[in-house]
Amino acid sequence: MHGPSRREFLRSCGASALALAAFEMVPGAFVVRRAEAAYPAPDRLETLGSVALEKARSLGASYADIRINRYRTQNVLLRSTPDWTTGTINNVPSVVDSESFGFGVRVIHGGAWGFAASAVVDKDTIARMTAEAVAIARAHARLRREPVRLAKVSAAKDTYSTPLVKDPFDVGVADKLALLQETSDEVRKVTGVFSVTGFMEQRLEERFFMSTDGSVIRQRIVQVAPEYTATARDLKTRKAKTRTYRPDAVCGGYEFIEKGGLVENARRVGEEVVNHLKAPSVSPGTKDLVLLPTHLALTIHESIGHSTELDRAMGYEANFAGTSFLTPDKLGKFRVGSDMVNVFGDRVLPQALSTCGYDDDGVKTKRFPILKSGLFVGYQTIREQAHFIGQDESTACCYADSYASVPFQRMPNVWLAAGEKAASLDDLVSGVDDGILIDGRGSYSIDHQRYNFQFGGDAFREIKGGKVGAMIADVAYQSRTPDFWQACDLLGDQTTWQNVGLNRDGKGEPGQINAMSHGCPASRFRGITVIRTE
Amino acid sequence: MDRDGAKQTIERVLSLRKDGDLEVELVARTSSHTRFARNEITTSGFVEDVALTVAARREGRSGAVSTNDLSSEGLKQAVTRAVELRDLMPVDPEWVETLPPQKYPTLEKYDREAERARAGDRAPGVKAALTLADRRKLTAAGFFENSVERRGIANSKGNFGFHESSDVEFSVTMRTSDGTGSGWASAYSPRFSEVDPKSLARRAADKGVESAKPREVPPGDYTVILEPDAVAALVQTLQFGALSKRAADEGRSVFSKEGGGNRIGEKVAHEAVTLRTDPMEPRVPAMPWSAPGPFGGTASGLPNRRVAWIEKGVLKTMFADRYWAGKTGVEPTPFPASLVLEGGRETLDALIAGTDRGLLVTRFWYIRTVNPQTWQLTGLTRDGLFLIEKGKITAPAVNLRFNESPVVMLQNIEGMTPAVPAGRLLVPAIKSREFTFTSKSDAV
Repeated sequence: MHGPSRREFLRSCGASALALAAFEMVPGAFVVRRAEAAYPAPDRLETLGSVALEKARSLGASYADIRINRYRTQNVLLRSTPDWTTGTINNVPSVVDSESFGFGVRVIHGGAWGFAASAVVDKDTIARMTAEAVAIARAHARLRREPVRLAKVSAAKDTYSTPLVKDPFDVGVADKLALLQETSDEVRKVTGVFSVTGFMEQRLEERFFMSTDGSVIRQRIVQVAPEYTATARDLKTRKAKTRTYRPDAVCGGYEFIEKGGLVENARRVGEEVVNHLKAPSVSPGTKDLVLLPTHLALTIHESIGHSTELDRAMGYEANFAGTSFLTPDKLGKFRVGSDMVNVFGDRVLPQALSTCGYDDDGVKTKRFPILKSGLFVGYQTIREQAHFIGQDESTACCYADSYASVPFQRMPNVWLAAGEKAASLDDLVSGVDDGILIDGRGSYSIDHQRYNFQFGGDAFREIKGGKVGAMIADVAYQSRTPDFWQACDLLGDQTTWQNVGLNRDGKGEPGQINAMSHGCPASRFRGITVIRTE
Repeated sequence: MDRDGAKQTIERVLSLRKDGDLEVELVARTSSHTRFARNEITTSGFVEDVALTVAARREGRSGAVSTNDLSSEGLKQAVTRAVELRDLMPVDPEWVETLPPQKYPTLEKYDREAERARAGDRAPGVKAALTLADRRKLTAAGFFENSVERRGIANSKGNFGFHESSDVEFSVTMRTSDGTGSGWASAYSPRFSEVDPKSLARRAADKGVESAKPREVPPGDYTVILEPDAVAALVQTLQFGALSKRAADEGRSVFSKEGGGNRIGEKVAHEAVTLRTDPMEPRVPAMPWSAPGPFGGTASGLPNRRVAWIEKGVLKTMFADRYWAGKTGVEPTPFPASLVLEGGRETLDALIAGTDRGLLVTRFWYIRTVNPQTWQLTGLTRDGLFLIEKGKITAPAVNLRFNESPVVMLQNIEGMTPAVPAGRLLVPAIKSREFTFTSKSDAV
């Protein structure tokens, strides 16, 4: 059985991309007039966008941009748990399909920013909200110390679409639930598994950007993120463990879910959660760590990704997310990691979650170095902040998670290059006398300047005498960002490199989420403090 | 934007029902904010937004659709799509019937000024903070937001609820120019006039200056005096999992009993600890009903009410949604929101004066669960950690990472102040012994 496709859905709604429907209004105070049933056609978007830009200019704004965006998310979930009274397996399904559409307009007036947004996309509302944005800027201009300065940008008239084979919204929910059911059934064939929860998130962003710099940009971004978690428990000892399998979350189509190995890895995941439950606790102490990409990605994110955000370093996030130990005086001078550590910021890497054509400043995306041979050489920047470090263009890291959110600096894909010399996982392990192999994400926490961190993991294996041994439990490691990266003494080669997507990074006030990928090879770190979390 | 308007739109949706039941939630939100950093305003915004969620339900199947298109056609599309999804779904073996009509409490959490305030109304408060920062040679960063939300729920069985609430938040961080000190203060209220940026800025500035040039103290077990914001950060984690009866019954929680079952009726905290949900308490935000959401399960739509989770140290009640309550033969409860931890009678000064050696914690940062079976958390101190020696604060201390369970913290209580609003909870400052710190953090 196949569910209705996205195209069929739009057809069934009697709407097309070219149609402009003047729908009957719903009476009452909750009326939201929607002039556009489907995402508007390019010329219509430009007409609507021009209203904002012209209004802003007429009110004296020195800069304005408008984003008219449509978002769709489909979350499919299947939880399989034994019934409390009968013990038979209850397979509990859930599907939530969400869609939103609206615009956000940004202006600079008197050297200050103003922003206003609404879900009502028509000319009158766009004009009204543009005036509101100007009023905000006016009210706040006298509380600026100096005017906002934007780095240069080339005007672009362009489009970008995530390359994909199979649109995830064209695949029926029955097929998706069937795949999760097959996976769950396979995991549950392992004796000792208590429950399995499978989940697929599919996101679509249709973005339109138009600015007084002359840019008109349309983009269509599609992301998929599947995963499942198996739980084992022991009522006698009052212990429970989980094991999660996450194929790469990517910008791409449903084909990545199909080839993600959900079913193929199910038995292994089931066996590992059961083994984890029985595994002895780690003996704490100083140990060598061999970290698989599924684990190291989050460590890169927290310790290198966030510390090299220029807005943090300049104090823009001091009240919430914090600042950074990598202050601008360290740029080009401070050694974060060992010689072999090369890290890039990148919004053009194929399939990576932050990849797109242009950022929300209208700047063409690119790849740029962050750490070169361990040295700190580059920040993530946006147009407003590039001048703080003497640069005349940004690295295209501006993003807003909704039409209703203010665009600001967000993390791009930040990836660690593989080692240049041939080194397999066996090579990494063979040099370890007393260590731990860590797979997957666990509990994670890092301080507000990105020095001190503690990371757990999802599965741990002891390494003794250069060989991987049995599973152990209750592991977390603590370190300090520069100490940790300088303790990196061997990187796996390209055969161990994997692109690992994270899709719920939070930042900002009001809070916004962001998705990005952190590709990396399996890597080895010497002499790290390991604690027991039992 | 009133009750009648919400009802009209919701009834319009419900009238589109063909078979089975519909459940509807309509949320309209207006928010306005100002951010500042580096002693100037950075970004500000004004947003009008709306979301409609429609769930179609019939004979064990359900499908849900969310949209912000409230045109007639948009409503029709939402219902059509929800019904299509429903009919594609397998039967849910944990299905509960659509909620019959409920009686919801009336909660006064709305302030007209909080709805009307715009950038110009927030500017004087922000200016007060920036002026203070300039005068004391500090660097200020902060956030000032006022918002109003109107929320209606209804279903085909005749249930209907409407609630309007406002929310005003101001928070500010003051850092010293040498980068060695940082202070923070924050307040929330439903009422615009009750949030005082000037006094909060002063408090953050004092903390920032007092915390400068900290002394290193070794990690280890300390008697701590946790200010209300630090207590709130630990206690609110209990909402998400630890207080779940299902997690406990299934052996996945700190409140699971060895050999099976849960620990209801057991003493789990110091006898001075009473932790409850109290939507009637005017100082904490609350909704009249249990909100939908990933943690609320089938409790969604149940009337909110006073529930004692822990009373005089004894675990009295655990959160059970309608499905789990039915399975295990207990009354369902609303989700454990609007938490109130009853306090004591001591003052913060008296708690400090009675401490031979300890640490005063302003607040915590980046708290994560390390072990659900013990509810061990990890996180860091931030924006003011102070060494107490022989009853007096003797020095600011370098920040530390902790690995500790709030359940243990609540067992080791040695004194409490009266409860005050903090982090949208109502909690006291707490003195607790043997709180474990595991490493030093260089962050300021």
